[in-house]
Formats: sequence, structure tokens, C-alpha cells
Amino acid sequence: MTGASRRALPQRWRLLATTLALAAGASVWGLAAHLLWRSTVPSGLHLAHLGASHFFSHGFLQRSSSYARFQEITAVLATVVLLVVLVLYARRGHRLMRESAAGRIGTGMLLGMLGFALVWLAEVPFALVAVWWERRHHVSRQSYAAALLEGFAALGARFLFISLALAIAMGLAGVLRRWWWAVAAPAFVGLALLSTFLSAYLIPNTKPLGSPALRVDAGALARAEGVPRTRVLVQDVHRYTTAPNAEAVGFGPTRRVILWDTLLDGRFTRSQIRVVIAHELGHIAHGHLLRRVGWLALFLIPAAALVALLSRPRGGLAQPEAVPVALLVFVVLQLLAGPLLNVVSRHEEAEADWSALNATHDPAAARGLFVELARTSLADPDPPSWAYVLNADHPTIMQRLAMVSAWQQRQSLRAAELRPRAGPSHVTPRRRARAAAPPAPVTRRGCPTARALLPAARPPAGPHARRSGHRPRCPTV
Amino acid sequence: MSTVPEAPIRLTLEDDLKRSRLTVFFRLLLALPHFVWLFGWTVLAAFGAILNWLLTLIAGQPPTWLHNFLARYVRYATHVTAFVTLTANPFPGFTGAPGYPVDLEIAGPQRQNRWTVAFRAILAVPALLIASALAQSSSGRNSFSLSLLVACAVLAWFVSLARGRTSRGLRDAAAYALAYSAQTHGYLLLLTDRYPNSDPLAALPEVPERADPIAIEVGDDLRRSRLTVFFRLLLALPHLVWLFLWDVVAFFAALVNSVVTIIRGTSPDSLHRFLSAYLRYRLHVSAFLWLVANPFPGFVGAQGSYPVDLHIAPPERQNRWSAFFRWLLGIPALLLAITYGALAGVVALLGWFASLFTARMPLGLRNAGALALRYGAQTHGYLYMLTPSYPYAGPTREDRPRPTLGEAPASPFAPPAPAAPEGGPPSAA
Repeated sequence: MTGASRRALPQRWRLLATTLALAAGASVWGLAAHLLWRSTVPSGLHLAHLGASHFFSHGFLQRSSSYARFQEITAVLATVVLLVVLVLYARRGHRLMRESAAGRIGTGMLLGMLGFALVWLAEVPFALVAVWWERRHHVSRQSYAAALLEGFAALGARFLFISLALAIAMGLAGVLRRWWWAVAAPAFVGLALLSTFLSAYLIPNTKPLGSPALRVDAGALARAEGVPRTRVLVQDVHRYTTAPNAEAVGFGPTRRVILWDTLLDGRFTRSQIRVVIAHELGHIAHGHLLRRVGWLALFLIPAAALVALLSRPRGGLAQPEAVPVALLVFVVLQLLAGPLLNVVSRHEEAEADWSALNATHDPAAARGLFVELARTSLADPDPPSWAYVLNADHPTIMQRLAMVSAWQQRQSLRAAELRPRAGPSHVTPRRRARAAAPPAPVTRRGCPTARALLPAARPPAGPHARRSGHRPRCPTV
Repeated sequence: MSTVPEAPIRLTLEDDLKRSRLTVFFRLLLALPHFVWLFGWTVLAAFGAILNWLLTLIAGQPPTWLHNFLARYVRYATHVTAFVTLTANPFPGFTGAPGYPVDLEIAGPQRQNRWTVAFRAILAVPALLIASALAQSSSGRNSFSLSLLVACAVLAWFVSLARGRTSRGLRDAAAYALAYSAQTHGYLLLLTDRYPNSDPLAALPEVPERADPIAIEVGDDLRRSRLTVFFRLLLALPHLVWLFLWDVVAFFAALVNSVVTIIRGTSPDSLHRFLSAYLRYRLHVSAFLWLVANPFPGFVGAQGSYPVDLHIAPPERQNRWSAFFRWLLGIPALLLAITYGALAGVVALLGWFASLFTARMPLGLRNAGALALRYGAQTHGYLYMLTPSYPYAGPTREDRPRPTLGEAPASPFAPPAPAAPEGGPPSAA
């Protein structure tokens, strides 16, 4: 055996080991995704295609379409600008190292923060345009100065986040070298879990639900969905927006439902608000918040590995020069994963809608709610496919209305099965009981950040702040 | 045309630090006639200032008689303020004539740019902000802000009553405030078009050299990155979080250090090292935040790692009684440290705008900020038992070598210098 062939043997074994490891990893990933994907929405559910003009006037459809298109186009442009800035920063950002007297981790933190700072600067015009557009359509009441200040303050939170993330990653990279991602990714998932747990305490301007009737409804719905003693709070947002929304946060003892006070200003009936509460309780009952941590883990582990691989030409993440490249890679991966995460989000929102229908048994209220939500927040009931794929983290209004119809149809069929017949009964007691029982929630765990009722509303300053046209996912970058 | 001294408005100091206990005790009451006279003179000077502004706009130079009138007014106001704040001892005259121990040399009228004359009131705003932090106190419905000058006056009153003389540090700090205030008023009243200089080292005719146990070394090159300046407050957030955690630990370490020092008479080495590192890190972060230095600091407070650094002498024996009452004895220093902190804030605000436009921090602002930081560090060092030496309130020339201006300490992560061309430099013909 020659020396070359002797050297080739370990290489072949390494290749085989790598391939087997990747295959095993992919299998575990697939199994985990399959477990997280499970839903109580019946798999054979057929959603009829409903015409939007049946529920909305032509004028509204035109207005909402134009409102949404402008936001989506500015979001796309902002994303292009983001990528250009990050590419330039990846190429030249290491020159800013001279602005640091810190060690390698401190310098890395500075480069990470400056990357975010440059992105923020580049996106300021788009933020101002978004504010202008929302004010023009009376969806937002926020001033330009307030919007800028809010963005600046939110940037401070991002600085702290990126500093912590880089401190962990670069610290591990200094010790574990090229295998830092294997420990860092689980650490970040742990931090996301902690953030989910604490998120209930980070929402500003909340107070208990004032209406006694709604308090009783909330208690009954929580018991019906199997999550008793879940607190329902009201957040004061009417100074910033007119759009209604709600969200579920936390898990275990910190689980909460947060209703915006714009939902309780008289535009929605009590039964419609019950549907909203039931929807958010559905998120909690089906463990969506914790499932999102699981999806985050499925995204983070390969993403961190790719970041480690692609930052190697710059010396790996142990060196601060690699930070701008790592930032670019991570943001690109996040953008690529966005449509996939939207699929997951829509899947979970659909389950929450289904859960709300099962808890309230009030399809008319649900239908009225979705139509009114679209009207008050100027949501496009039936967006074009490209916008749907890129941006829609909730089912469209028409899809939600179609689900209500499908639920009603199922209930009718079930009622027909249970109706007594003239001849011998073909329905056994066991079958009758199974048909009458509502579907039980699958799991009992939570989600990384808030799960909102609507995607398009613009919440006030806080860790869940979102801008129309920009829909950051659960881990923020 | 009269000759222009180095600075058109300069403070002179002939004071011997002695203070009559009797006149000190009744100082505010004794100054009442001067307050009345100054008020009347101020009303006249206000009209004179408006007239001076108009005539200077027309002629390009203030008329000599009006210039001299306003110069006397500024000189008289300085004399009265020096008397009231115990910066000087004797009862001043009512004419503003030269010869008072704390006096002003004001150059004669000079030609001035009409544009700067026209917008003088607006251009003077930054100087007025610094002057208010240095020399003017104010009280509102729910708040009271104390300037450096007033704080020095209050403390000097007690010191003078006790010892029959004031301390040089308090006198010099007050003189610095007076000098800047005089320059600002001179600028505003068109006595000069030279912008007031906030550099404490240039404000006094003589600045002492000292070898304090806690001393600051400034090797900053005044260059500021516009990007990091714009986001300075946000970039400092990770440091502020880390400093907060360190504050908690340092608090308990300082408590233990106090107890051990009272018992043993000297600070243990380990605690002294830890608290020194903490104090040094605190200084680094403050220098970064207040724009006294440029680079992003490290997180461990390592000596020699930052252009604005702190030197702390090794532990020395301390009087147990002064150690026991250290926090009580430190109250006056804390009061002054608060006023210096307000000065640092104003310096940072103005330095932010200046750095964004020019990519450089003005020397005067940088040195004023460094003075504030040095005093704060000395105060904390005194309170944490790192030294028995009381903080020195006035400006000093530290007895430490520092790099030449422009030669900043190299960052370990600075890009490498370009390689020299092969073959060496071209030889002379």
C-alpha cells in the first residue's frame, strides 16, 4: 500500500463519518419538525375559495390593496438596502476595529453594534415613509419624532442583544474553536426560552381587564381550552395606533393574554372579543410559544454551523474581523428562512382559529370579527401570492373566513350523525361520544415571543414592537 | 491699535489664600452694597451692550469708550463674584479698576467679523451652557442645580472659618469658573471675538504640578469617529450593564475594605487591586461616554489599555480615625464631584455636536471633561479607602509623562501600518 493511499483511508473514513453525521442530523431534524408540525386542525379539512367581494366593498378592497402593496414594496426595498449595507460592511467593516481599545470579544461586540447602527441609519428613510403611510390612512397616530425615538431606543435593546450573543459566541469560539456553534446554539435557545418566560413582564402599559362580563368570559374560555387561571390584560396603545390586536405571551406561571385597548373601544361586540380571547388562549393551550422555541432551535443549529463555516476565511468567530461576515451570513439565512417560518406561523394561527371556534361555538362572531379586523386595520383580505409567501405570517382574512365555513360544515355533519334515525341506530354510544367531544389540545407549552392576532398592526415601543412591512421573527436581529 | 495679549481676556491671580474669619462669616451681608451697585450697573450695561452691538455692526469695531465701559463692568462683576465666593479676600472697589487680587486683563477693542457680531447671542449659547454649569446656580419649583463656583464657595466658607485660609484647590476651581464666565461675558458683550476657552489648564496663570496617589493620564489624540460618536450612548450600554454588575460587587468589596482598613490601618493588597481595577474601568467607561476619549474600552479595566487612564498608588498606611469617618469626611468631595459631573455632561453634549461636525474633540472641552473625571476618580478612591489623600479640586498638571499629542496608544486591533517601500527612502542629491 502506498503512502498516498494510506493517507486517503482516514480521509475516506472522515468523509463517511461526516456524511453519516449529516444524515443522522437531518433525520433528527425532520423528526423534530414533524413533531412540532402536529396540529388539531383536521388534516382533510377543505377550505372553499370565498370571494372577497362577498364580504367587502369594492372601495375597501382597492384601498386595502393599495395600502398593503405600498408597505410590501417598501419592505422589499428596505430589505435590499439592508443587504447592500451588510455586504459593504462585511467587506470593509473590519477597518472599524481601530475604534476599539477592548480585547477581541469587546472589539467583536463593537463591530456587531456598529453593523446594526449602520443598518438602522440606512433604514431611517423607510421607517419615516412607513409612518407617513400609516398616518395618511389613519392607522397610526404616532409622530415622526416619536417613531424615530422609538426606533433609536429599540436599537439600544438590539445592541444589548447582539453584545450578549457575540460575547457568548466569541467566548466559546476562543475555547472550542470551530465547534463553538455546537454549544452556542443550545445556549441561544436557552436564552430564547428565558426571554419567552419573562416576556410577560416586559410589555409596558398593561392593566387588568376592566369589564366584569369579559372577565367572566375569559375565565370560562380558559377553562374550556384547558388553560385555567390564564391572566388576561389590556395594553394601552390608543395613543400610538388605531389598529386592534392581541397577543399571547409567556408560558407556565407567566402565561398571559394581552388585548390592545383599541380592541375594546366599542368597534367590536362582546362575542367578537370572546373569539379574540379564545384565539389567544388557543395559542397557549396548544403550546405554540414553546413550539416556536423548538422551531428556533431547528433554525439556529444549522444556521450557527453555517456561520462558523463561512466565517472561517476571516479567522473564524474567535477573531473580531469575522463579525461583519457572520452578521451578513446570519441575516441572509434569516431572510431565506422567513417564508418557511411564515408557513409555520400560518399553520399555528390556523390552529388557534380552529381552537377558538371549538371553544366559542360562535362562527357568526368569528366571521364578524375577521371582517371587522380587516376593516379597522386596513388589512388586504386576499393578497397576491408573492406577498403572501414573503410576508404573511397569518392566514389571509379570506382563508380565516373559509375556515369558519369549513368548521360550520363539520359541525353540521356531526350534528347530522348524532341525530336519532327511524331504524336501528348505526351510531354506537362510543361513536356518539367521540363525535360530540371537542378536539383536545395537543400540547401544553409556549412560544418565543408574542403570538399576535393580526400581522399588520403597529404595536407601540417594547420588545414586541413591529413596523408595518417589517415583520421580525421571534429571535430579533 | 492696542496690543493683544495671548488671550484677549485673561484672569490674573495675586491671592495669598488667607481669609479673614470675620469678613468670611458675614460675606454675603457685606456684599449687599455691591449687589445693589452691580444691579444698577448691569441695567446700564444691558443698554450699552445693545448700543455696542449696533455700532460694531456698522463700524466693524466697538467704539473705545463703550468697550472700556463694558470691560470695567465685566471686571467689576468678576471682583464682586470673587469676593462673594471667597475666591479673593479684600472688599472690592466700586469702579472695577484693575488691581484686585482676582483680576482681569482685557485687551483693547479689535476689529470683529460682522457676521459673528450679528449672531453673537446665538453663537454664545454653547459657552453660556458651560458657564452655567461652572458659575451659575438655579432653583426651580422642584429642583435645585448647583454650579461648581457656588459649591466651592460653600465649602470654602467652612474651610476659611476653620483655618483662617482657604484651600488652593477650592480657590483654583472657583477661579477657573470665574475665568470662563468672564470670557463668556466678554464674548457676549463684544469685548472680543475669541471664543471662550474651556481648557482649565489655560484658564489660570499658574497651574500646580502635583503627584497625587490617584492621578489621570491623558494620551488621547482628539480624533473622534463620527459613527461611534453618533451612537455613543447606545454603544456604551453593554458597558453600563457590566458596570452596574461591577458596582454591586465593588460596593461590598469597599465595605469590607473599610472595615479591614479601620482595623489594620492599611488596605489589603487583594481588595486594593480589585477596587483599583474597578475604578480604572469606571474611568474608561466614563471617558468613552463623555467623549473624553475615542476608542471602545475593554471590560476589565486593565492599566495601559486606554488613552485616558488612571494611576493608583499602592496601599499606604491610613489614620484609623479618618478611615472610620471616611464617608462623612467625603461629603464635601461628593458635592463637588456632583457639580463636576454636571460639567462633564455639558462638555459631552457640546463635544458630541463638535465631534460630529469636525471629527475632533476640542482640546478645551476634552481637558474640562478630563478634570471632571479625575476629580470623580479621586473622590471614589478616597471613599473606597484606596488613599488617605483628599481629592484636589482645582486643575493640575499631573506629574506623569504622556505621549505627544497626535501619538495615541496603538490599539492591538488597529490595521497594520503600510509596509515601507523597498530600497529605502530616496537619497538626497
